[in-house]
Amino acid sequence: MRSRTEPSQGEPSRAAGALARYLPIGVLLLAWELVTRLGWVNPFVFPPVSEILLRWIALIGDGSMFTPLKDTLWRALTGLAGAIAVGVPLGILMGRQRWAEWFFEPLFSFAFPLPKIALIPLFVQWFGLFDLSKVMLIFTDCLFPLVVFSYHGAKGVSPIYVWSAQARGASPWRVLRRVVLPMALASVYDGVLVAVVVALLVAVVTEMVSGGSGLGQTMIRAYRYGDVRTAFATLLTISLIGAALYRVAQALRGRFLSWHVGEA
Amino acid sequence: MTTPRRTWLGPLASVAPLLIVLAAWQLASAAGALPKAVLPALTDVAKALAALIGSGEIFPHTLASLARAGTGLAVAVVVGIALGIAMARMRVVRLAFEPFLLLIYPVPKPALIPLFMIWLGIGDFSKIAVIALGCLLPVVTAAFNGARSVDEVLLWSARARGVSERRLLWRVVLPATLPQIATGVRTALAISIIILVSSEFLSSQEGLGYLISSYGGVGADDSMLAVVIYLAAIGYALDRLYLAALRRFMSWHAFAH
Repeated sequence: MRSRTEPSQGEPSRAAGALARYLPIGVLLLAWELVTRLGWVNPFVFPPVSEILLRWIALIGDGSMFTPLKDTLWRALTGLAGAIAVGVPLGILMGRQRWAEWFFEPLFSFAFPLPKIALIPLFVQWFGLFDLSKVMLIFTDCLFPLVVFSYHGAKGVSPIYVWSAQARGASPWRVLRRVVLPMALASVYDGVLVAVVVALLVAVVTEMVSGGSGLGQTMIRAYRYGDVRTAFATLLTISLIGAALYRVAQALRGRFLSWHVGEA
Repeated sequence: MTTPRRTWLGPLASVAPLLIVLAAWQLASAAGALPKAVLPALTDVAKALAALIGSGEIFPHTLASLARAGTGLAVAVVVGIALGIAMARMRVVRLAFEPFLLLIYPVPKPALIPLFMIWLGIGDFSKIAVIALGCLLPVVTAAFNGARSVDEVLLWSARARGVSERRLLWRVVLPATLPQIATGVRTALAISIIILVSSEFLSSQEGLGYLISSYGGVGADDSMLAVVIYLAAIGYALDRLYLAALRRFMSWHAFAH
């Protein structure tokens, strides 16, 4: 992703680094504010950034952002948790057992490029218009990166470690827990990072398409009323959640994988 | 991905699981264990697909969808490569555009669809714009990273031979960056289809996404599933075609795949 190893001239202080990083964004937002304030664009179509922020604060303040936010987050996290609970063991099984690899690997690599979002109408029919169809689609879509990354992680464990553990009389269960799992964990976590992004995206799209509250539906309602400020404010909330979820996942990875060579 | 199997059974062994699942689907439908209301029989889906193709009904929708995704992707590729390389080679350009890219980076791109529908209406234009924006990031990122990691020695040796800066860009920087760009474009291709389908679900009178949601809406599940499978096949074929084209035109570069 974005390079973290910028050529630092003489290692400036952290604050200066943060300033250098965020100052251009500040300048951009200021330019946005100026252009709209000067009346160069229609403020109903493209409102000043300050008004979007005020609307955002107002929507947070009067609590009307809370319910959609809670619904979106709940759906995304439930679907993600289910996908982790099923996808990681399945992927590891595929990486360790020939029959599981033989059966599941072609299925997953075949269905991987299929845009799962196209299944929304089918899922609505199976699981109804409300939470369940959304959670199930999030689950299904997140399953793919989790299975594939866990599979590659488990498959990549060098047999030498497995053999040496077995030679010392470790039970298969113990080999799995003490050798395979720790060594596959870095790859599993890469899958989690992808799935976090997918979960929120699918949550928002299902809410836009089939309604039933949530931030996606708030976006669509804002569109129907032509309310650009609310649309922008909701977009801000969605982006903040996305960034926060990603950060949390990354922090957890750092915590669990601090011993892992080459990981942050 | 799969472990190489060198017998003639090889290709058969890797499609066997798929055939098993499809056979189980068909058997369950035939035995009445899978009600039509839940999932229509595989043969019915196949018949619906044959009818959609035979009557030619699906082709205008295919064309509309491909035109949207293709235009958006093309804009993203042209702008993305130019912008990514310019950002890597010129500090001013980087300073000017990086904040914009950082700002849209965390936005799930389909969430931009409603906003663009307010600005540009519900026609093709808003769909193409969101697809272009969504596809832009992976291309820009790839071009930027690629152009930044061009071996300085190549540049020096070209300059030492008196090559002009412009020629340097075309003959050294761009070719050296292409492998990374190729990967970025492949990601963009997948993104374009996701945004395409989302935007066609939300508003459209034609296109494959429209076809899926309208068949789903009237309960014509066999036709709906037929379009889903058709769409998946197109996505798969495009990806394969792209890889084949890369192998052909960039044979000088050792691709991993």
